[in-house]
Amino acid sequence: MSSTYLQALLSGIASGAIYGLIALGLSLQFGVMKIINFAHGSFLMMAMYVSYALATQAGLHPLLTAPLTAAVLFVVGYACQRWLIDAIYRKEISREPIGVLIFTTGLWIFMDYGFLALVGPDSRSVDSPWANEVLVMGDLIFTYPQLAGLLFAALITAGLVAFLRYTRTGRAIRATGQDREAAGVLGIDSARVYQLSFAIGLGILGVAGALLLPLYPANPFVGDTFGMRAFVIVVLGGIGSVAGAFWGGIIVGVLESVGSQLIPVTYAEALIFLLFLAVMYFRPSGLFGVENE
Amino acid sequence: MATRTLPAGARMALIAAVAVAPLLSDSQYLLSIAVVTLLYAYLALSWNILGGIAGQLSLGHSAYFGLGAYTSTWLFVHLGLSPWLSMWAGAAVAVVAAVVVGLSCMQLRGAYFALATIATAMVLKTLVENADGLLGGPRGMEVTLLRDAPLYFQHTRKEFYYVVALAFTAAAWLINRQILRSRFGYYLAAVRNDQEAALALGVPILRYKMLAAMLSAGLTALGGTFYAQFVLYISPDKVFGSNLGVVIAVVCIIGGRGTLWGPVIGALLLLPGEELSRTVSGGLVGVDMMLYGLLLMLVIRWEPRGLMAIFDRWRERRRVARATELAAAEGAP
Repeated sequence: MSSTYLQALLSGIASGAIYGLIALGLSLQFGVMKIINFAHGSFLMMAMYVSYALATQAGLHPLLTAPLTAAVLFVVGYACQRWLIDAIYRKEISREPIGVLIFTTGLWIFMDYGFLALVGPDSRSVDSPWANEVLVMGDLIFTYPQLAGLLFAALITAGLVAFLRYTRTGRAIRATGQDREAAGVLGIDSARVYQLSFAIGLGILGVAGALLLPLYPANPFVGDTFGMRAFVIVVLGGIGSVAGAFWGGIIVGVLESVGSQLIPVTYAEALIFLLFLAVMYFRPSGLFGVENE
Repeated sequence: MATRTLPAGARMALIAAVAVAPLLSDSQYLLSIAVVTLLYAYLALSWNILGGIAGQLSLGHSAYFGLGAYTSTWLFVHLGLSPWLSMWAGAAVAVVAAVVVGLSCMQLRGAYFALATIATAMVLKTLVENADGLLGGPRGMEVTLLRDAPLYFQHTRKEFYYVVALAFTAAAWLINRQILRSRFGYYLAAVRNDQEAALALGVPILRYKMLAAMLSAGLTALGGTFYAQFVLYISPDKVFGSNLGVVIAVVCIIGGRGTLWGPVIGALLLLPGEELSRTVSGGLVGVDMMLYGLLLMLVIRWEPRGLMAIFDRWRERRRVARATELAAAEGAP
């Protein structure tokens, strides 16, 4: 393998890890509440702007903005589920929450254009010397933000997996995702679980936004591309499988990065969606999903 | 689920309003809003067959819309075939696409199906964007300008498009009504309500879902041709974009999916609503679409089952009121 392809492969893994991190929150919400949250990309956009504001106004290091952005998004997510989505979710009659889908579509449009009105259409990127530093290993070159993205995405995924598996709250979240009624009988307050899952999902998205900002400039519509890709990743990895979302992200990142070495970059995009359709056909529960229905 | 319908008075007012709307004003601007509203009513009615009556949440109908627009436009521009004829070729391509998509996606349920349909539309969009030589790539295609040529689906007056859009919408409405009244419609309702139960009762659900998808796709493709001839320019982003696929579904769901009047009501609220918010916002960038998003959120927060459910509630309340009145009258000496 020539070093061009190796470089493409490793860069693909690094950006794929961030894609996976973006998809993580969506996977959690999707798995626990069975809702399609179309505003996910817009929340990512919001996270990037929060991180941008912290980095430029308060002069923080891009990495230091991550925990603060996560905290802001956590609160936003909690409030959003508690005061906006919950009431609609409760009115749903079927197990297929169409109302939430339409509501979040409205929220998506509202937020994207709200930010357009608020901050204008210009792309903004952080101007930090750290963002441009590189690590050279033989023929291979990595930027610091790439490495940080890979490291923190892997850590957070592992942390979330452990949280869901070994803590009481984590097990309550998983139980509610599997069977809301049964979990209710066992004394689990589903409303609280939903608020928490939504908040955790957006909190992780906050970290993802802060990690993405040094790599990709923020603009009001930045969420459209990444949001749509996050859906693909979630289903690819298997709904409700947190580790699956991470690996799904890496697959998409590698496919995009290596694919664009072999074929025109615009076709590489189609490659992702073709893979998605193939997985849907041969393994509808996703690559890492468990067939429980 | 009750077969929800509009009260007779509202129905009459609606038909009258639609009929006289173009006469009220000479403004070509207002007329083009009316045309676009009708186009979306037509698209929502087409979507309703698969997404509403059969309950299969497709968010990628832009795939069929784009195939219709591109097929008819290509045949028109390169072979001079009138769009009145080439639109059927577009519909045929879309029907074939629906079969292919159906074979791979129809086993999927709910959210999975929805996401697979979005992915399909994205794949098609990317392929067309890369077909530089044949289809103009990302720049799109311009429709040959003939000005006043109704035989070639073109006219400088918007009244022409208004009448055609009205005819399209009426036809789609009649098809919906026919389905809702037929055995086919009952099978689709069975599929929507409980696939396992329908299967157990011997309904060949895959075949009926496929038929619904084919019909829905074909009609949507005709709408694509109409759009191309009305706007006289198509691009992958405009006709295959995932936004369009979501909007078609949203119009129908806001109105009330699976109902006869829901798609029409949804279009009548949302499209002029979008235009109105543009006027109200006074040209402030982004504010118009913000208001539009807000409108979507408010409607669904208020009535998640769509606007048609409101009429149901009124009717139910009236029925209850009448019953209590009767009971009171009987109870009185």
